[in-house]
Amino acid sequence: MSSSPVWQSLIAIMLMVAIAYGSRVLGLLIMSRVPLGPRVRLFVDAMSSSVLIAVITPIIVHGDGGVRLAAIAAGTVAVVMRNPLVSIAMGMLSAAGWRWWFT
Amino acid sequence: MKVKENPTRLDITGTWKGIRMMMPLAVFTIAFGLAFGVAAVHQGVAGWEAMLMSLFVFAAPSQFAALEMWHSPLPLLALAAVTLAIHTRHMLMSAALYPWLKALPQRQQFAMVILLTDSNWAMALGEYQRGERNLGILLGGGIALWGAWVGGTAIGLAFGGGITEPERFGLDVIMLCFLLMIVVGGNPRAAMALPWLAAAASALMAYWWLPPYLHVMVGALTGGVVAVLLPGHWLRESAS
Repeated sequence: MSSSPVWQSLIAIMLMVAIAYGSRVLGLLIMSRVPLGPRVRLFVDAMSSSVLIAVITPIIVHGDGGVRLAAIAAGTVAVVMRNPLVSIAMGMLSAAGWRWWFT
Repeated sequence: MKVKENPTRLDITGTWKGIRMMMPLAVFTIAFGLAFGVAAVHQGVAGWEAMLMSLFVFAAPSQFAALEMWHSPLPLLALAAVTLAIHTRHMLMSAALYPWLKALPQRQQFAMVILLTDSNWAMALGEYQRGERNLGILLGGGIALWGAWVGGTAIGLAFGGGITEPERFGLDVIMLCFLLMIVVGGNPRAAMALPWLAAAASALMAYWWLPPYLHVMVGALTGGVVAVLLPGHWLRESAS
């Protein structure tokens, strides 16, 4: 359970708000001065998806069979059907199914 | 023949149009907000914390990633780094909107991007390219998504606690599936396979051997660096 002090949570949330809004404004500020080059675009693009990959990977590697099956199912549906809700539903169903049978 | 451009506008009619156009997607967003609320409850995050995040951060991927790190004491530096890495993409998105927004005074420009997210950005930019000049499309889309996200979070927080064994229903994999869906469901390109592989491998090694949470930063930077190095390398190969 989270027992972090209130002020700590508030600082964390304010930090997130500042960064989330700051990046949205920064794009305008930069564009009003210099246009972004294609290499910078590529780097930022790859980085913002890689950060999610980096969050996911250890969860999958250290998860149980249900977690891994869910990742495979959700990933496959996301690529093939492009339907986010079905993707998440299939992932949950796979995890629940695995644990129903094997635990 | 060049069609005469309409001047940039921002009014109630356009905003309503934006809200209505975003409605179908907002239904999905309610479901995601609900999933976030449930995930927050089972991650031990307090209701008010989750609610504040949805109200003010208003960014699903960073909020889900934050849940993963929400332990006491909070790793503030790591949390900031992860949020920054996820949000650099919004910098590019608002940059892409600049030609449209520059007609407004700067204060209004800044206000227009408060509710900027991937979905209303994509919708507004699509309309802009079709000749739409009413910025209400962007604003209205943002309002619809924000309302759905906050409402969904509230429902999830209210009912998520009633479930005692979340694993039996697969509720613990919601966050994983959501992040996975964002990564591969958007626009997967073969060229990204190597950067992502590098990101995954380096993140895993950092997870095992480096202090906690550094793996996210390591993976993000590796992915970015590999992507930048790749095309240059290919270019040199084909040139020689």
